[in-house]
Amino acid sequence: MRWLTEKIREIARRVKMLSRREGFDRELDEEMGLHRELRARESGRDGIAADDARYSAQRRFGNSLALREESRDMWGWNWLEDLFQDLRFGLRVLRKSPGFTLVVVATLALGIGANTAIFSVVYAVLLKPLPYANPDQLVGIFEAKPQEGIPMAGCSYSNLVEWREQTKTFSELAGTSEHDLTLTGRGDPSVVRTVSVTPEMFALLGTQPLLGRGFRPEEGKEGAAPVVVLSENLWRSRFAADPKIIGSAISLDKRSFTVVGVMPSRFRFPILTESEAVWIPVIQDPLFGPWTKLRGVHLLRVVGRLKPGVSMAQAQAEMDAIQLQAAREFPAENAGWTIRITPLQRTMVGNAKSALLVLLGAVGLVLLIACANIANLLLARATSRAKEMAVRIALGAARTRILRQLLTESFALGLLGGAAGACLGYWGVAGLSSLLPPDLPHAGAIAINGWVLGFALALSAAASFIFGLAPALFAADANLQANLKEGSARSGESGRGQRLRGSLAVGEIALAMVLLVAAGLLVRSFAALSAVSPGFQTQHVLNADISLPRFQYSTPQQWTSFSNELLARVQAAPGLQKSAVGIPLPIVRNAVNLKFDIAGEPSLSPGTARMADYVSVSPDYFRVMGIPLLRGRPFQEQDSPAAPRVTIISEAMARLYFPGEDALGKRLIFAFHPDNGFPHEIVGIVADIRDGELSSDPRPMMYVPFAQAPFWGVELVVKSDLSPSSVAAAIRQEVRNIDPDLPVTDIGMLSNEVEASVAQPKFRTVLFGLFGAMALLLAAAGIFGVISYWVSSRTHEIGIRVALGATPGDVLRLILTQGMRLTAAGILIGLAGAFGVARYLATLLYGVTAHDPFTLAGVALGMTLVSALACWIPARRATRVDPLVALKYE
Amino acid sequence: MHRDPIPPGTLDLLILKTLARGRELHGFEIAKSIQQTSEDVLQVEEGSLYPALQRMLIKGWVRAEWGATAENRRARYYRLTPMGRRQLEAEVTQFERVIGAITRVIQTA
Repeated sequence: MRWLTEKIREIARRVKMLSRREGFDRELDEEMGLHRELRARESGRDGIAADDARYSAQRRFGNSLALREESRDMWGWNWLEDLFQDLRFGLRVLRKSPGFTLVVVATLALGIGANTAIFSVVYAVLLKPLPYANPDQLVGIFEAKPQEGIPMAGCSYSNLVEWREQTKTFSELAGTSEHDLTLTGRGDPSVVRTVSVTPEMFALLGTQPLLGRGFRPEEGKEGAAPVVVLSENLWRSRFAADPKIIGSAISLDKRSFTVVGVMPSRFRFPILTESEAVWIPVIQDPLFGPWTKLRGVHLLRVVGRLKPGVSMAQAQAEMDAIQLQAAREFPAENAGWTIRITPLQRTMVGNAKSALLVLLGAVGLVLLIACANIANLLLARATSRAKEMAVRIALGAARTRILRQLLTESFALGLLGGAAGACLGYWGVAGLSSLLPPDLPHAGAIAINGWVLGFALALSAAASFIFGLAPALFAADANLQANLKEGSARSGESGRGQRLRGSLAVGEIALAMVLLVAAGLLVRSFAALSAVSPGFQTQHVLNADISLPRFQYSTPQQWTSFSNELLARVQAAPGLQKSAVGIPLPIVRNAVNLKFDIAGEPSLSPGTARMADYVSVSPDYFRVMGIPLLRGRPFQEQDSPAAPRVTIISEAMARLYFPGEDALGKRLIFAFHPDNGFPHEIVGIVADIRDGELSSDPRPMMYVPFAQAPFWGVELVVKSDLSPSSVAAAIRQEVRNIDPDLPVTDIGMLSNEVEASVAQPKFRTVLFGLFGAMALLLAAAGIFGVISYWVSSRTHEIGIRVALGATPGDVLRLILTQGMRLTAAGILIGLAGAFGVARYLATLLYGVTAHDPFTLAGVALGMTLVSALACWIPARRATRVDPLVALKYE
Repeated sequence: MHRDPIPPGTLDLLILKTLARGRELHGFEIAKSIQQTSEDVLQVEEGSLYPALQRMLIKGWVRAEWGATAENRRARYYRLTPMGRRQLEAEVTQFERVIGAITRVIQTA
C-alpha cells in the first residue's frame, strides 16, 4: 500500500516537473556552472594558473552536456517527446491523405458511436446501481410453490412479521405492494400510483427524504393516524412544490392522509420507471389493509438488507430453516411454500438483460467489422509505404521505433474516430430515447455520462490497437532488401500481404453474415408478430379507465349501479352506442388467471389445476370488441345477481377442458371470492383472443356477466367513428355528471395499446436492422477495397493477358472468381457462426425458428449479390485496361 | 596524494549520508564534504553528482530549493526528506552487510 502511494507521489513529481521543463536545463546549467567555478577558484588558491585551474575543474567535473542529458533522462521525458514527435508526424501524414483519413474516421465513428449509444442504455438499465444506500446489500425475497407451478409470488404479511423477529442475517426486512388510488382535492381528481409499504421500508432503503421524514414504526400499527409520503415529482406537479405541504392533509380514495415527507425524484420504488407516486403504510390501505390479517394472502414483495459480510447463501439457509418451522406451525397456509432470495437489482431490471446483452454483442460485431475494414486500408497503405519504411530502417531506425510510430498513427486515428463516435453516440442516444420501450427500467435516465465516455475512449484505444497491429507488424517486418531492390511499391506486394487482406475481408463478410442472419430472424419474427390478429377489434376502439374510491363505493351494489348508469349515459350519447365494459381489458391490463372446477368432476390434484383467464364483461362486450359468438347465447340483461350464474367460455377453453364433448350446459365452480361454490352454467362459446401478449397462443378464457361479478371500477371500451378526443370528452362529461370527484384515466386507443405491447421486439428489430445494414455496407466496402487493390496491383499482369488475347469476359471472370472465392468462404464461416449464435436469439423470436432455412438462404443470397456488385465495379475497370498503357505502367 | 574512485553504487549512500548531517548543501559543498570527510581518499567524479541528485529528487529522498551562498551567488540547496532518511538507513545496513561479508572473504586465509 505504501509502495503504491509512494509510486503515485513519484509520478506526480514527474508530471509537475514536466510543466517546467523549459527552466530545467537553465537551472541545471547554472548549478553546474557554479560548481565548476568554485572548484576552479579552489584550485587557484592552491597556486595553479587560472587556465589550468579551469581545465582541471572541467576534467574533474566530466562531460557536462552528457550529464545534462543523463539528468533529463532521469525524469523520463524522452519517451514523451518521442510520443509527441510521432503524434506530430502521424497527424502530418494523415493530413496529407485527407480522403483516407476521412474514410477511416467516419468508419470508426460509426462503429464507436453505435457502441456508445447502446452502452449508454446498457449502463443505465443494467449497470447503474439502484438509487438506494449500499444497493449491493439489498435482496428481493419471494415465496414460491414449485409443485403447483408458482415460480414466484409475494409473501404474506404475517410471515414477514415473523421473519423480522427471527432473522439474524438481515439487518432489516420490509414489504411492499402497490395499486392505484384516487387523489382528490386541489385540482381535478386523478389516479395516483400508491405504494403500500411496511413502515421500515424508508429506513431500509436509506434514501434521505427531500422534506420531512419517512414512516415511524408505530405508524405501521393498527389504529395509527393515516400518513403519506409523496414523491418529489408529484409534489411539484400536483402541489406546486409547496414547502408547507408537510403536516397538511391530502385525500386518497376520499380518506384523509397527513403528509409527513417528500422523497427526492431520484428515489423510485418499487418500480424504477414510475416517477409519480405516494407511499402509505400498508395497514392504512383501503384494499390491502384488511388482507394483512390473512396469512394465506401473498400480498407483499419483500426487500431485505443483508447484514455486512453476510452472503446470499447464508441468508437463504436461514430463511429455509425459518420457513420449515412456519410450515409446521401453520401447515394450511405455509406447507409446500419455499422462499427465494435474489439480488434486488436483478428483480428490478431482470427481463431486459438478455435482450440488451444481445444488442451489445451486435454493435460489438459492427465495430469489429469496422476495425477489419480499417486494418485493410492501413495494410494497403503499409504496402505502399514499405519503401519508406525500408529506407528508414536502412538509415538506422530501430524496428521497434517504426512499430511504435505506426501504432501511434493508429492511435491518432483511433482517437479522432473515438471523438467523432462520441458525438455520434450523443445524437444516437437522443434518437434511441424516442425508440425505447416505455417499460424499460431506468429508461428516463439514459444519457452520455463519464462511464459511457470512458467506455468509448477505451473502445477506441482497443480498436486502434486491433486495426493497427497487423499493418504495423507487417511494415516493421518488411523485407528490407527486397523492398529497396524492387524499386516499385506496386510490385512490392507480397503474397503474405495479399493473404492477410483476403482473410480480413473473409472475416468481415463472416461477421456481417452473423449480424444479418440475426437481423433477418428478428425482422421475420417481428413481421410474424405484427401479422398476428389479437382476435378482437382494435381499430377505432377507445378504452378508458374509471376507478371508484373504495371508502365511498364500498359495496358491490354500488359498483354495479355505477357501471349501469355510466353505460346507459354513454350509450345514449350520439355516436357512442357501441360501448361496453370489460375487466380486465385484453393486452391493456394483465390477465387474471384463476382456478376453477367442473361440477360433477373431481377436482384435480395440485400442480394440474384447471386454470383460465377470468374476465367480467357487460352484455354488449363481445359485439363491441368484434369477438364472434360461436355457439349458445351472449349475456343478457336478465343475467342479474338474482338470476342463476352463467358464464361464456372461449374456444380454446372448450377444446382444452371439454375435449370431444359439448361444453354448453356444463357448469363451472370458481374457487374464489365472491363466487365461492356457485355453479356457473356455460351458456355460450366465443372465439379465441390473445389477452396476454401477442406472442403467446390464445389462452383458455372464461367470461362472466359484470352484474353477477362486479368490480370496484369500470374499464370502458367504445367503438366509434368520432374523433378520439371528442369520444374522450364525452366520456369525461358523463362521468362528471354522475360524480365530479371521479377521475377518468388511461384513455387510449386499443390499436395503440396493442402496438405498445410489442415495443420491445420492435425496438430490437429496428436496431438490429440498422446494425445489419451497417455491417453489410462495411463488408461490401471491405471486399470492394480488397478487389480494387488486387486489380490495381495486377494492372501489369492484366495488360499481358489482354495482349496475349484474353477477352474482357476472361478478365471479368478472373477478377469475379477471386472476389467470389473470398465471399463464399466468408458466407460459409458466417453461416456456421450464425448457427452457433442463434440459440442466444431463440428466446427473442416468435413464429420463426433460430435456424430458419429461409432466412439463412436469403441472407446468404443477399450477401452474395452485394458482394458481387462490390467486386464488379473494380472488375469492370480491369476490363478497360489498355495493354499498351498497362505494360508501361510501373 | 593518491585518490580512489568510489565503489560503484555507493554514490547515493555518500550523498544521503552527507546531507544527513543535518544541513542544506549545494552540489559543490556535497562534493567537497565527501572529499574532506574521507580525508581526500574518496574522489567523486563531480559531475555525476547532478544526475544522482535528480534521481533522488524523483524518488523524493531529497528536496531542492534555490538560495544564496555566503558570497550572495544563486545556488540550489538540497535537503534530506524523512523518506530519504529511511532510505539512508536501509542503504547503510545493506552496505555494512556487504562490506562485512567481503571482509570475511578476503581475510580468510
